[in-house]
Amino acid sequence: MQSQRGGGGLWLLQALTGLSLIVLLGLHMIAQHFLVEGGLRTYQDVLAYIANPVVFILEVIFLLIVVPHAFLGLRAVLLDLGPSPRTTRILDGVLIVVAAATTIYGIALFIVLQGRV
Amino acid sequence: MKQEMSDPVMAFDGNELWTIHYRVFRYKRSSGKPHYDKFNVEIAPHETVLDGLEKIWAFQDRSLTFRHACHHASCGSCGIRVNGVEKLPCIVPIREVTRDGGTVLCEPLRNFPLVSDLVVDLGQFYRRLEEAHFQIIRSSEPIERDEHESSNVHTRFENCIECGLCVSACPVSGTDGLYFGPAALAASWRMIQEPRGVDPLSVRSNADQEHGCWRCHVAFECSEVCPSNVDPAAAIMALRQDLLKRKLLRLFQRGDHDRA
Amino acid sequence: MTEHEERRVRKTLAWLDMAGRKAGTWAFLLNRLTGLGLLLYLLLHLGVLSLLAMGEMQWDAFIALARSPLFLVLDVVLIFGILYHGLNGIRVALVGMGIGVRWQKGIFWTLMGLGVLLLAITGWLVFTM
Repeated sequence: MQSQRGGGGLWLLQALTGLSLIVLLGLHMIAQHFLVEGGLRTYQDVLAYIANPVVFILEVIFLLIVVPHAFLGLRAVLLDLGPSPRTTRILDGVLIVVAAATTIYGIALFIVLQGRV
Repeated sequence: MKQEMSDPVMAFDGNELWTIHYRVFRYKRSSGKPHYDKFNVEIAPHETVLDGLEKIWAFQDRSLTFRHACHHASCGSCGIRVNGVEKLPCIVPIREVTRDGGTVLCEPLRNFPLVSDLVVDLGQFYRRLEEAHFQIIRSSEPIERDEHESSNVHTRFENCIECGLCVSACPVSGTDGLYFGPAALAASWRMIQEPRGVDPLSVRSNADQEHGCWRCHVAFECSEVCPSNVDPAAAIMALRQDLLKRKLLRLFQRGDHDRA
Repeated sequence: MTEHEERRVRKTLAWLDMAGRKAGTWAFLLNRLTGLGLLLYLLLHLGVLSLLAMGEMQWDAFIALARSPLFLVLDVVLIFGILYHGLNGIRVALVGMGIGVRWQKGIFWTLMGLGVLLLAITGWLVFTM
């Protein structure tokens, strides 16, 4: 476990989430613009779109993958400011909380919208 | 003169002198702010950038400090940035970097503590090579082998000359002071390939850290500037692949830790 | 500023030190800038989606704004960021695993060529669809 943390584990996670995002973001864009005739334009379009269970699952998976990738990337950039080990630990904690909050917010939003279908 | 130019051998005129403007980075701990000094140097186009610095030191400014020793790219001590790019000035002819009446910009290597003018402190750089267990160990005495064999086995060409150019060119070394840097990681890979009594597992675990081989961002600048074709970037990638394979293997053979 | 802080600022600015650097450092810099931009966009995007929760009127008003020419230009900027970050990311991930190391320069420029093509196509779609 010790060697996983901060070693190749995080790098591999970033690479694999990144590679899967290429597929997921492609699907996200194609679904948004071509699944509903003429693309998502109105509120009603969006509700119709999200009513599709495949879309719903796809969007949740997308969110679950993009958030860790984004925050790991931000972490790499912030590490270049040369934080002390203690600051790095605090930073990691803050990033995990913010990333978790972002994910929960996103999923909650999907659920609220699905409830209106 | 014009006719002679067509023939590369005839075009070489040993007496031709160019006037070159050296713009040299200056810094002394005692006098505070870094600045650039300009020196005009009369120099033949086939002479090197280092020759010019030595002329400046000999005839214009005895306080100019720069490191040099072998003059043929094997000691690795003269590394500086010439017109922004990391080079060994001892093997760079003037005509390769400028023309008659042109300017040559000389600056110290990046990403190292500055000592004086063009001299930087390579102390930590050497320590990191040591941490990579980089060393030349004879696997056995030459006397024990027959002559024919020993010429193969003991001609050990260690191509890294420890000049530090790669670390200066590396954008990650620029921002992450804890990053091991291309030279030390390439040395780690070298020791894994040919351990010579060093425990390769300890070399691996040293490289397998956040500020170790995983910090590289595949810019390949180190391999661009390396004067002796070590190709540190490829070594880092090989190191990673080796570590990833081992991690995968360990995942499938739980508890059964494979040895090197 | 203390000497330590000054050194930290200098190190951070080393990010932008392009003197003598080649395509690899530009690729790295652009990867980070687009990455930060995309993170910002992700958060804005999720934030804006809360308008959906507020109701039909709020959302449709926003969509009217989002279809203005200025927003369409921003869409193309976004697509540029996605394409660059994604395509360079393919190289960073694969070469970083030791795949195609010897051809990494060719891989980079091929991916960039593909990016220009995709940007042209998607840019055209943004303004015509």
